[in-house]
Amino acid sequence: MAKFVTIGERIHCISPVIREAFATRNPEPILKRAKEQLDAGATYLDVNIGPAENDGEDLMKWAVKLLQENFDNVPLALDTANRKAIEAGISVYNRSKGKPIVNSADAGGRIENIDLAAANDAIVIALCSAEGIAADNDERMVHCQTMLERGMEHGMDPADLWFDPLFLVVKGMQDKQMEVLEAIKMFSDMGLNSTGGLSNNSNGMPKAIRPIMDSALVAMAMMQGLTSAIVNPCDLRLMETIKSCDVFKGNTLYADSYLEL
Amino acid sequence: MPFNRKPQKFNAAIKTVEIGTGDKKVTLGGENVFPFYAFDGEIANGPKVGVEISDLGLENEVPGVKAYYEGAASIGEVAKKAAEMEGADFVCLRLEGGDPNGANKSVEELVAAAKEVADAIDAPLVVEGCKNVEKDSELLAKVAEALQGKNVLLLSAREENYKAVGAAAGLAYDQKVGAESAVDINLAKQLNVVTTQLGVKPESIVMNVGSASVGYGYEYVVSTLDRIKAAALSQDDKMLQMPIITPVASETWGVKEAMAEEEDAPEWGSREERGISMEIQTAAASLAAGSDAVILKHPQSVATISKMIQALV
Repeated sequence: MAKFVTIGERIHCISPVIREAFATRNPEPILKRAKEQLDAGATYLDVNIGPAENDGEDLMKWAVKLLQENFDNVPLALDTANRKAIEAGISVYNRSKGKPIVNSADAGGRIENIDLAAANDAIVIALCSAEGIAADNDERMVHCQTMLERGMEHGMDPADLWFDPLFLVVKGMQDKQMEVLEAIKMFSDMGLNSTGGLSNNSNGMPKAIRPIMDSALVAMAMMQGLTSAIVNPCDLRLMETIKSCDVFKGNTLYADSYLEL
Repeated sequence: MPFNRKPQKFNAAIKTVEIGTGDKKVTLGGENVFPFYAFDGEIANGPKVGVEISDLGLENEVPGVKAYYEGAASIGEVAKKAAEMEGADFVCLRLEGGDPNGANKSVEELVAAAKEVADAIDAPLVVEGCKNVEKDSELLAKVAEALQGKNVLLLSAREENYKAVGAAAGLAYDQKVGAESAVDINLAKQLNVVTTQLGVKPESIVMNVGSASVGYGYEYVVSTLDRIKAAALSQDDKMLQMPIITPVASETWGVKEAMAEEEDAPEWGSREERGISMEIQTAAASLAAGSDAVILKHPQSVATISKMIQALV
């Protein structure tokens, strides 16, 4: 089994510093956050440029080149609602360290992002929802099937569709948590890859609690077969948990210094 | 349905480590397929064969080995003949006389022997200590210093002395470091981690993950080699991508199948033939399980294993 793939989430335009850096094309804050995440053990970096309706194409190209030139062609997840910007990003993307990830498609209005990924030999994050959160796992799996078929019709390798069950917030949706975990098991039983915004579960909780909840959930989700997550890699407890779970799953070979690798 | 060949390709490769200098230098590693899986992809550098000689001379060797070295009076002359052996890629000098529980030769005397050997040959040289942790810490450091510029591989840095041996060989004198563990895959990885944390370049490390003679717990050696190659290639584990060297002769010539005299075990036949057989079987199995180099002693074993490699790569 391959190592769990962590996608670092900290280059996100919701952060005022990053939004400002994108707007003024200022490399420093972006490179700083990229380095922090890679030093902490992230495999992929997510690049969220927001809706970027005006200059999305130019901005995504700039960001992809900036990050890959500075960090040995680090693999990236291109995260925006602007499809032209994703295509522009892929056009300058170096895939020597991994295919680009299109973040993201769903089974509703964003299903065409699967076609986009297929046309560009990219990975796509496939959110198992259409209009709103799936009511139950029957609905989740219908969405999963729809997107899987769509990808395969367009010639995609099923391994390049990373299914996202949509992690739900505990405060308010505590009764749905086991269902999400069961969905991961269903993906896994079908031999499919999976990912998701894991920290969504701890939204609204005190800062000191969040790493504990995130770590517990990632361990349970990895047991169910989760193969990747979009996380904050600077969360030490979470990264230690992932590395430890990788050992238990046989994804990496144990050595006393395994946490330093 | 027609047969559809699907080569097993990995996006990872074993690192290459060079030993020696000039035309005769050898490159260990570089492969990105399983051992001898030449049908999956080209094998960058085939496995290499080394010839073991000892500072203790030839007194205890079998007649075939003695005959090969006949007329060689000094360790330098022995080394020269070893380097010329059919199928030999490098020479391995074992300084077993340093063992405090044995001949207990001085470090100076052993370094002089290593120097004599290094000056006598232009083939790549591997120098193995006496297996005593304290003595080797000093001895291998001194050998590394004395043989500067020869690009030798020193066996070995172990858990107990990797700092002394690693710092001298890998950092101060720019030689190659052998990282030795005893058939313990987790320790093999850990030793590579701490040795690189010391500052030794991964390209300067060769692993000796332990050995045994066939029939003596050898299955553990095979499963260790197997798992290391699998993790290195399929999981792209950078801390296990160092090439592997396996001393074979020192194991196989010490077991009863190779030691028992014919008068004591007449039903077993010729002692020398048994010894060669044990040596060849162990070497072939080690190479098939993932070793990038083996160290042998008998001319017949060296020639046979070298032919096997040429036929398979």
